[in-house]
Amino acid sequence: MSLIGKVSATEKNPTTIDEFYFWTKPNRILSPFDVVKVENTTTNSITYGVIEEISHITDTPSYLTSYISNDFGDEDYHANTHRIGMNYVKAKVVGNNKNFYIPVNDGAKVSFASEDEITEALGLKDIKNPLVCGYLEMYEYDEDNKKVLPVYLNSHFLVGPEGAHLNISGISGLASKTSYAMFLMKAIQEEYKQRGESVAFVMLNVKGKDLLAIDEINEDLEEKDKDIYKMLGLSDKSFENVSYYYPYSRDNLSNTYQSKEYIDKQKKLNKAYHYKFIYEEDKDNIDLLFSNIDDPTGTMESIINYIISGQGNFNSIEEWDKFLNEVGELCKTGNSRSDKEITVSSWRKFKRVVSKSLNNPIFANRIQTNQKETRIEEVIKNINKNEVKVIDIAKLDENMQGYVFGNVMRAIYDLKLGQYDDERDEKDIPDRIIIFIDELNKYASTDVPKSSPILRQIIDIAERGRSLGIILFSAEQFKSAIHDRVKGNASTHAYGRTNAIEVSKGDYRFISPVYKSMMTRLKQGEYIIQNPIFRSLLNIKFPKPIYKQFKN
Amino acid sequence: MTLTAQIFLKSTVGIKNKGANIKTLLNFLAQETGADKSYGSNKFCFENIEVPKIEYEDSHQKNWNVKESGETLSLNSSKLLIKKVNELKKFNTKPLFKYFLDGSRRTYKVDDVAYGNNIYPIVAGQIGVGCCKRENPDNFTKALINMYNVIVMPNYANASGQKEKLYFNNLLSKINNLEKLQKLNINFDEILTYSKKDKDDLEDLAVAKIQDKMVELEKIIVANLVKEKLLNEDSYLIKDGSLEYKVMKTGNYKELAKIKNNYRHVVGVSKRFNPNLVINKRGKSNASLLADLPLYHRTPAIKYKTDMAGEVYFAIWYVRIRDKKYTNSPFEGILKLEKILVTDNEIKNGLESEEVDNISANIINERNPVCYGSDNRWANHLYPVYLTEKYIKSQYLSDIFFLNLF
Repeated sequence: MSLIGKVSATEKNPTTIDEFYFWTKPNRILSPFDVVKVENTTTNSITYGVIEEISHITDTPSYLTSYISNDFGDEDYHANTHRIGMNYVKAKVVGNNKNFYIPVNDGAKVSFASEDEITEALGLKDIKNPLVCGYLEMYEYDEDNKKVLPVYLNSHFLVGPEGAHLNISGISGLASKTSYAMFLMKAIQEEYKQRGESVAFVMLNVKGKDLLAIDEINEDLEEKDKDIYKMLGLSDKSFENVSYYYPYSRDNLSNTYQSKEYIDKQKKLNKAYHYKFIYEEDKDNIDLLFSNIDDPTGTMESIINYIISGQGNFNSIEEWDKFLNEVGELCKTGNSRSDKEITVSSWRKFKRVVSKSLNNPIFANRIQTNQKETRIEEVIKNINKNEVKVIDIAKLDENMQGYVFGNVMRAIYDLKLGQYDDERDEKDIPDRIIIFIDELNKYASTDVPKSSPILRQIIDIAERGRSLGIILFSAEQFKSAIHDRVKGNASTHAYGRTNAIEVSKGDYRFISPVYKSMMTRLKQGEYIIQNPIFRSLLNIKFPKPIYKQFKN
Repeated sequence: MTLTAQIFLKSTVGIKNKGANIKTLLNFLAQETGADKSYGSNKFCFENIEVPKIEYEDSHQKNWNVKESGETLSLNSSKLLIKKVNELKKFNTKPLFKYFLDGSRRTYKVDDVAYGNNIYPIVAGQIGVGCCKRENPDNFTKALINMYNVIVMPNYANASGQKEKLYFNNLLSKINNLEKLQKLNINFDEILTYSKKDKDDLEDLAVAKIQDKMVELEKIIVANLVKEKLLNEDSYLIKDGSLEYKVMKTGNYKELAKIKNNYRHVVGVSKRFNPNLVINKRGKSNASLLADLPLYHRTPAIKYKTDMAGEVYFAIWYVRIRDKKYTNSPFEGILKLEKILVTDNEIKNGLESEEVDNISANIINERNPVCYGSDNRWANHLYPVYLTEKYIKSQYLSDIFFLNLF
């Protein structure tokens, strides 16, 4: 046991059941989030604290004294004696090994904790259904006492049934949100396979080629990262059972950032497909193209209902071209076909929105299965246990990205609600399906119109997904911009590097000022995690991605 | 200073009527010494009720006999030491001073008792003498500390006439065996006595006894440091206050030689001195010269012998460590330095001027940091001494606690 200081209870800063202060030598390096233990002689127990703030004081009563002490402002002056100074540390009580919650006494000895004690203090001991979510580094700057230990959370609180959904926030690049989500999903895939429980993943690739080779190994992974994977009890293999779905395009290139050769290679291995939307099957989801369109009078909704219910000539249409022609007809003044309630100007607005999207080759006439083509609904409908489906939407425009994402969510929802029960044996359907979507702010920010069908779908998943087995792993830059009902229903929150403006928002009110400012300084690969089973926020790290990284 | 810590007892208590079962320390003392009455007077801490006034540390200097120059070179005016000061810094010379000694006491009036027709005060005190060590600018630690609790009683309390020392030692051990003290794990270290024949204010007399004891304890610390061979030409001791211990006069020649020898590497630094007693080597008051002493100058050292200290010669000089423009009075920022002349050569010719310069320059280099804002005497305080003083004071029992022991 190495002592680092003693508790100091003063008139102004007494020790309480929640916190205490202790002094240390000024050269003792500690960090916020370090766990310390205090011997409690009255109860013969050990109280654990997590460091929240570290301050340095001297006996200087004012700045003026400092100025005078340097010969009235001589910058080069060196005194024979340096001022008596020491550090005092504010620690938050996280537990007592015998559950005594009386304040620790003045003068009680404070020391570093052992690995066992750290796990006990943070509530990480004897975790049921353990799932590794990173590792802790304690006393980083003290070579003799440095500790590295894996952190496990109860998977039932991450992917249900006790709690569900993960929200990751942090600024682009520096926070490595995707990498962390992928790390967790890899851990889930391995753990659930071992346990014999079933889970499947649907990931939407929204940036470049990020997720387009996740079954391949990262050749550049350094030994030290491999060692970390080993320490965390994870294999050095990448994701298994992965298939990729690229948006169909006639020249193979315009709709994705992945190269034709790469796609062909993947296709040969039967793991790459192109997806299309076919009028007959997918017209019902056309509302998803309108998720970012304000529709206060409900006219767009009326038009969509008009089309979906097959009124007018829409019943006989089988192709997108004809659909557009028909809409074009309705836009002409004096047409006699339309419902009288829908004005020509409304039809024109509708056309403006849809025609741009429908020009994309992704909207096609039929599927050629021998050319490895498929529909999103088909992909989801046939998802099997332990499978990973990566759907590439990176190069599509924002409206189209929402459309695909909306389709994915609807299909998963239908699958879990038993819509396809006549086509699939229920026991073959994975118990849990995890959807990973980056840039959640595009679909569920506070600015999204309330009528947005995608927002409604996301809220539905956030609120009811846990019981259905649909788990949303989402990421965004600014958590404060996300709809309350979406982030409020996430059981686990991961905070990566963010900026000062963001932490000044209401979402961060419960976080102590030191942790807040730490959030603005977190390194890549570092996260602050909040989960119902942890007694306090945890500052964890995770290794570099194990799957192939495309260099930009 | 405040008027806190005045604890009132409800009424005077006649000892004869008192039940023996309540063994307060005062009851016990009165009973043991056969006092006629314990008045249970108002208990208070002297330091807390006295109106603060400047206490010159050289009030006894009145008796000085001016001799001659206290250093080998005869200077007629003050000497600027900035060159030496800068040299020390430039060549990164280790500071001369490594040990810092201070003593302080807190005295308390605890009772008045009647022996015969006379009333005598009982005074108690906490004495703290400590020495701190500076290894490097960042390492300032305790070297030695002695916390000493005393009770001062009239020697008249010893009614039997048996040997005084024996009688009071016996009383002391009985006091220390009192249940209350045992429970609190508090010990008194000595009972000091005063004699009525001195005819001074008896309370002052008792306080003076405590002051003398403090000086005695300081000497013991210096002797210990010397015994441990910690003081040498590279590590000097700064003693807060004057070195003119009046007890010196009682020592025989042998003891005197030893005491003197202990002070070979000790410099006394006084914060407060009576400027009117500053005299040049012709015996004329020289207060105005001191008031105009420029920054980083020292006065010539003067050799003094004082009757109070017996056959001991001192070299005394003054150094200005702060610019006059920053202080409240022209005498603030000036320190009085003293060194005992040890060798025959020193006694005859005074200190080597080189050494006087070196000590002065090192003292000037101790001028920072300052305790501006926490101590009114900041201009005259040296930070390591200030820290030592603070350390000792932090070791005292609180006034309320101490008074309630009685």
